[in-house]
Amino acid sequence: MITLVYGGSSSGKSEFAENLVCKSGCANKYYLATMKPTPDTAERIKRHKNLREGKGFFTLEYERDIVKAVYEVEKNKQERTGIKAPSQSDRILLLECMSNLVANEMFREGKIMPKEYCEKKIISDIMTLKDEVSSLVIVSNNVFEDGVSYAAGTKEYLRCLGGLNRTLAEMADKVYEVVVGIGIKL
Amino acid sequence: MVLIVGGSYQGKIEFAKEYFPGSFVFDKLHLFIKQCLEEDKSEAQILEEIRKRIQTGDWVIISDELGNGIVPMDEGDVRWREVTGRILIELAREADRVYRVILGMGQRIK
Repeated sequence: MITLVYGGSSSGKSEFAENLVCKSGCANKYYLATMKPTPDTAERIKRHKNLREGKGFFTLEYERDIVKAVYEVEKNKQERTGIKAPSQSDRILLLECMSNLVANEMFREGKIMPKEYCEKKIISDIMTLKDEVSSLVIVSNNVFEDGVSYAAGTKEYLRCLGGLNRTLAEMADKVYEVVVGIGIKL
Repeated sequence: MVLIVGGSYQGKIEFAKEYFPGSFVFDKLHLFIKQCLEEDKSEAQILEEIRKRIQTGDWVIISDELGNGIVPMDEGDVRWREVTGRILIELAREADRVYRVILGMGQRIK
C-alpha cells in the first residue's frame, strides 16, 4: 500500500506522516531520510530527529539510490547479530522526502541528469522498495505556487518533481494534502 | 478563534466579513510575523504576542500561506516562511475552526 502526503514547507506534513505510520500498528517502522547533511541543513535535520524521537523509528539514510535500503539494512543486521529480519508484511517505511531525493538524483557531480532518467529511476526504486514493506508512506512537497520563473535547471527539476508527484498520486491508495498541520484527503 | 489561510488574493478577508461579521479580525498575520522577526523576536515570543492580542472577544485570524514554493535564496525569507508555517500549525491546533480559502470559497478543514 502507498500513501502520499503532500504539502508546502513547514505545513506540518512530516508530523502528519509520522503519526500515520505510528497509527498503522506496524511493529517495524523505518524512516528513510534523503536530506544531504550539510551545515545548512543541520538544524532542519536535528529538528526532524527530535520530532521522531521516542516514536520507535529505525532511521536509514540514503540521499539517493534508495532501492533496497530496507533489504540492505536488514541483511547487515542479520549478519551482525544473527537476529532474523522481520517479515515483509510487518514493515512500514516512511520516505522523506521527494524534493530532496529528486534534487540528489538530478544534480550530481556538477552535472544535471535528464528528467526522463530521474523519473524512471526513482519510480523503479520506489516500486522495488514497495515490495519489501507492507506499507509505504511518501512525503512530497508542493513547491509549485510561488509564480517565479526559474532558470532552466530549476525548471527541469520542477517538471521532474511535478511529474513524479502526479505518478505517485496515481499509484497511491491514499493521498493527503497537509495544510497548517491538518491532513485533507484528496 | 477562527483561522483562515490561503494564497494571496483569494478573497480571505471577504470570506471572513461574510461569515463572521461580528468578529474582530487580525488580518495579514504573515506580515505581522515578518515585522516581529525584523525586531529579532523569537518564534515563542511572537506566538505569545498573538495570543495576548486575541485574548478578549471573538477573533478571526487571517494569514497567507507562504510555504508552497521553492526555498527562497534569502535566509531571512526562509526563516519567515518557516516560522509562519509553524505558528499557523500551532494556531490551527488552538482554533475552533480552520478554513482554507481558494477562489473566494472557504473550505472548512477543522
